[in-house]
Amino acid sequence: MTTVPQKLAKLLLCGTELVTNIQVATDTREINRRVEEEEIKRQRIEKLENEVKTSQDKFDEITAKWEEGKQKKIPQDLWEMLNSQQLHCAGLIEDKNKLISELQQELKTKDDQYVKDLKRQSDDICLLLERMEEQVKNVMKTFRQELHHIEKAFEVERQELLTNNKKKWERALQAHNAKELEYLMNRIKKVEDYERELNRQRIWDCEEYNMIKIKLEQDVQILEQQLQQMKATYQLNQEKLEYNFQVLKKRDEESTVIKSQQKRRINRLNDVLNNLRSKYAKQIKQFQEENQSLTLDYKRLVMQFKELQKAMRHFALIDEKKFREIWLMNEDEAKDLISRAFAVDRIIHTHHLGLPWTEPDFLFLKNVGPLSQQPQKSATQVVEEVLMQTEDEVEEAASDLASYLDLPKQVSAKTTKKILMLLCDESGFLIESKLLSLLLPLEKSECYLLRLDAIFSALGIESEDDLYKLVNFFIKYRAHHLSISQAKPPLQASVQQLSVVSEQEMDMLEEEEETLVKDREQEESLVEEGEQEESPVEQVEQEEEKESPPSPNLIHPNDVLKTLEAFVMGVNKPRELRGPVRVPKVECNDSKDSEYWLALTTVIPPTKQNLWDAFYTALQKYHLVLTQRAKLLMENEALEQQNTELQMLLQQYLDSKINSELQVPPTQVFRMPTK
Amino acid sequence: MQDTVTTPQPSAVSRPSLSTQDKTSTGITGSQPWKPMVTPASVKSKPPTSGNSFYRMRRIIAEDPEWSLAIVPLLTELCIQHIVRNFQNNPILKQLLPEHQQKVLSRLSPDLPLTVTANLIDDEGYWRRCCTQRWPVCYVAQHGGSWKHMFFERHLENLLKHFIPGTTDPAVILDMVPLCRNYVRRLHVDQFLPPVRLPSPPRAVDQSDSGSEGEVEESTTDHYQLGDLVAGLSYLEELDLVYGVKDCGMNFEWNLFLFTYRDCHSLAATIKACLTLKIFRLTRSKVDDDKARILIRSLLDHPVLEELDLSHNLIGDRGARGAAKLLSHSRLRVLNLANNQVRAPGAQSLAHALAHNTSLISLNLRLNCIEDEGGQALAHALHTNKCLTTLHLGGNELSEPTATLLAQVLSTNTTLTSINLSCNHIGLDGGKQLLEGMSDNKTLLEFDLRLSDVAQESEYLIGQALNANREAARQRALNPIQFMSPITADGPENSAG
Repeated sequence: MTTVPQKLAKLLLCGTELVTNIQVATDTREINRRVEEEEIKRQRIEKLENEVKTSQDKFDEITAKWEEGKQKKIPQDLWEMLNSQQLHCAGLIEDKNKLISELQQELKTKDDQYVKDLKRQSDDICLLLERMEEQVKNVMKTFRQELHHIEKAFEVERQELLTNNKKKWERALQAHNAKELEYLMNRIKKVEDYERELNRQRIWDCEEYNMIKIKLEQDVQILEQQLQQMKATYQLNQEKLEYNFQVLKKRDEESTVIKSQQKRRINRLNDVLNNLRSKYAKQIKQFQEENQSLTLDYKRLVMQFKELQKAMRHFALIDEKKFREIWLMNEDEAKDLISRAFAVDRIIHTHHLGLPWTEPDFLFLKNVGPLSQQPQKSATQVVEEVLMQTEDEVEEAASDLASYLDLPKQVSAKTTKKILMLLCDESGFLIESKLLSLLLPLEKSECYLLRLDAIFSALGIESEDDLYKLVNFFIKYRAHHLSISQAKPPLQASVQQLSVVSEQEMDMLEEEEETLVKDREQEESLVEEGEQEESPVEQVEQEEEKESPPSPNLIHPNDVLKTLEAFVMGVNKPRELRGPVRVPKVECNDSKDSEYWLALTTVIPPTKQNLWDAFYTALQKYHLVLTQRAKLLMENEALEQQNTELQMLLQQYLDSKINSELQVPPTQVFRMPTK
Repeated sequence: MQDTVTTPQPSAVSRPSLSTQDKTSTGITGSQPWKPMVTPASVKSKPPTSGNSFYRMRRIIAEDPEWSLAIVPLLTELCIQHIVRNFQNNPILKQLLPEHQQKVLSRLSPDLPLTVTANLIDDEGYWRRCCTQRWPVCYVAQHGGSWKHMFFERHLENLLKHFIPGTTDPAVILDMVPLCRNYVRRLHVDQFLPPVRLPSPPRAVDQSDSGSEGEVEESTTDHYQLGDLVAGLSYLEELDLVYGVKDCGMNFEWNLFLFTYRDCHSLAATIKACLTLKIFRLTRSKVDDDKARILIRSLLDHPVLEELDLSHNLIGDRGARGAAKLLSHSRLRVLNLANNQVRAPGAQSLAHALAHNTSLISLNLRLNCIEDEGGQALAHALHTNKCLTTLHLGGNELSEPTATLLAQVLSTNTTLTSINLSCNHIGLDGGKQLLEGMSDNKTLLEFDLRLSDVAQESEYLIGQALNANREAARQRALNPIQFMSPITADGPENSAG
């Protein structure tokens, strides 16, 4: 079977080949014809060209001869020539005619060829048709055969299948019959069984049915009763529900009314809300404006405040001045009063009591100007001073000032300086390297100053006290005797002394101040006072240097660091407590003022006052006596005078003429009382 | 009925005191007595009509025993008959029920005027009757399997064939346009009649001798201009024209077969305007180089053209060059230049275009004269071309050099399925080389070497190789269907081997 398609394909292929063979053959014939045609055409053209050439030659010859003929004069020659010319022409024409006839012959043969070709083509077409028909027949036949074969095979297969199936069917049928019979028997048996069973069941069912019927009837009765009950309850419930429904309806109406009310309220509230909103917006605007104005006000106030502060500062200064002036005025007054009191006292003593009078000596009486706390100088300032001292040694005047010590007694300025120099040299590590590089171009003293400044800031030394503490510590450390804490009391004492002494020496040093002030850096006005006071300090110190015995051996440079360490350890603790104490100093100032003024009031001691009181009472008594006496004397005098006047009047009266004119003369009257 | 039954229910419902059982019982009982009451009434209302028919029927039977109900046609039948009879004046079809439509269509006469039927009737049966009545031989497959299309196409072809310019009214054809515009896909016209000239015989002889007066002659022998017609046919896909006269017999004149320049220009404009055209054939019409170039120029960049057939004309190398240009400027799939006068240069230009073409699948150069030069150029082009499947070079004076090159192509190319080299002078050696080339090829199915001087042995072996290829192709075609293919594919090959 596998070869059948191939066979069919081959058949088709062969058939088409057979049919197309004719076309191919025609094609080849056509090609051959074309080739031949071309060849013949070429030959023909060649031939024609040749012919043209030869005929042209002949024609040329003839035309040349015409020329020749024109020259001929003899008629015979001319006739001959014309004859020959005619012959030539005839030959030419003959050639042409021959050619034409040849071509016509060719055309004829071609026509024949064409007819033949037509015939052939018709034959070919006939053949083609024949072959095609044959092909169709063949193909039809083979296909039919094939179909027949297929059908046959199919038939055979079908037959086989049929027989097989029939056999199977019969077998199955037999088995089925047997089974059927068996089933039938079984069924009959079963049916009998079931019938018996059924009967039994029927009887039993009947009984059961009766029973159930009775029971169910009872049930029905019960259920009917229940139904009635249910109906009753239903009725009840319905009424209830109706009632409820009515109530709810009412409520609904109410609620609708309430709803409408609420709606109205909501509308109203909305209006209110809108109003409030607009108000709120307005207020916001207003407040913003206010805020702006207030900020403007605030700015203005700040400006004012600043101006006020400036004014305040100005006024503080002025107040200070005024205070000082008033103070001075009051002091003068008080001193005046005190001096008057002293004068009076002296008078009392010398004149009345007859005692010798000694003028009481009070320090505060010599005070001029307000008491003020001398500000603590910073450590650097002190150092600066110390250094300045050494530089200005030449300039130093040999001022014979009282023994004033800026430093604790055992420490001189020189030792301080030395110690500081030592410190500066040894503890260079405390200074920043940057600073060192900056210091290089500066002067020696300035360099020291800045270096010390850096060191002090590193050690935490801020105030003058600290500095002195340090110096003291150095000295004492070397001595090994004293503890570190003892360095404190003498320092405080020195401060008090400083203030007191400075007051006393004020007047004397005024001149020198001005010159010294120029050398220093200008500082603020508040500090000026302090500076004024410092100037004597230096001089005192310098004086001290000369006078004081040379300081004991200085500490060895190697011990400096140890000492410093101990100092830092020891001093740090007390300093921590110091911070908050500074605030109440102003009050202290006030108390001192009041003390001062109180002291002024107690210039006259109470014993003397008592004496004065007693003296006063005694004198009063004495005065009283004296006044009485004086009064009496005065009375006496007045009476004497009266008397004289009365006498004079009496005289007058008596001497006047009227008396005589009067019936009763007054003289008589007078005489009567007198009588 | 329903009303009467339902009415008692509301009354029962309106009494709430009754038990439900009572209600249903009353409802049932209420409805039951009503029903019998109603049914007699309905029965009573009918009798007049039924009694009448009874009466009449009986009487008629008594008078005419031969008369029977069966003979009286149904009203619908009568209506349909009437419709069929008056279809020409009052065509009613679309409004009818489908089965009635069918009946009407089956009875309509095929002679009805087309103006009535053309756009109204789509039924194939009717048009089949029309066709079979007009033409004894009908081959529907050629017309897309539609009898209606076939009718209109052949009708139009008939009109065109017998149209005589100058005497026939052009309206005869143009009137058809609205009727057949939707049904004509293909126009196959194998004759165009020239205009009739009464004093033709003497003049025709004179002028046929003198070729110089051809120009003057041409203007008078123009054929029908297809422009208006083709523009009207909106679905035209195929145009198959022969400018010639059939059955001229002894009235033969050369100028009966003239394809004038005016014809050419108008045809070119027509095919250019027809954007649905897929197949264009112009055969046996004496198309020379200039005319071919005019036509091809109008076809450049045509959107859908797939097949161009200019066989049996007088196209030479210049025309072939134009065709080559068209190859690179269109999506042409089939090009047929059989039986023309293409020589080597034309074939070379075609080969040049073919080398880079990706759409052409069939090229026919039968009965030309491209010779070895053209053949070699084409063979070279086939080295790069990956699209061409069919190549016909029969009768081209090819010989051995072409065969050697083609053998090389055969061993590498995998797209070619059919080559025809019949009627050439391949020679024995060429045959052997082709056989070698065939031994490496697995795709070629047809290779025609008849009458090409090839040794019978090599031709036979080539046939064997082709057989094997064909078998493999057959198996390949079956492959996607059968999954058992490896086994079945082995069988035939073994048997063949």
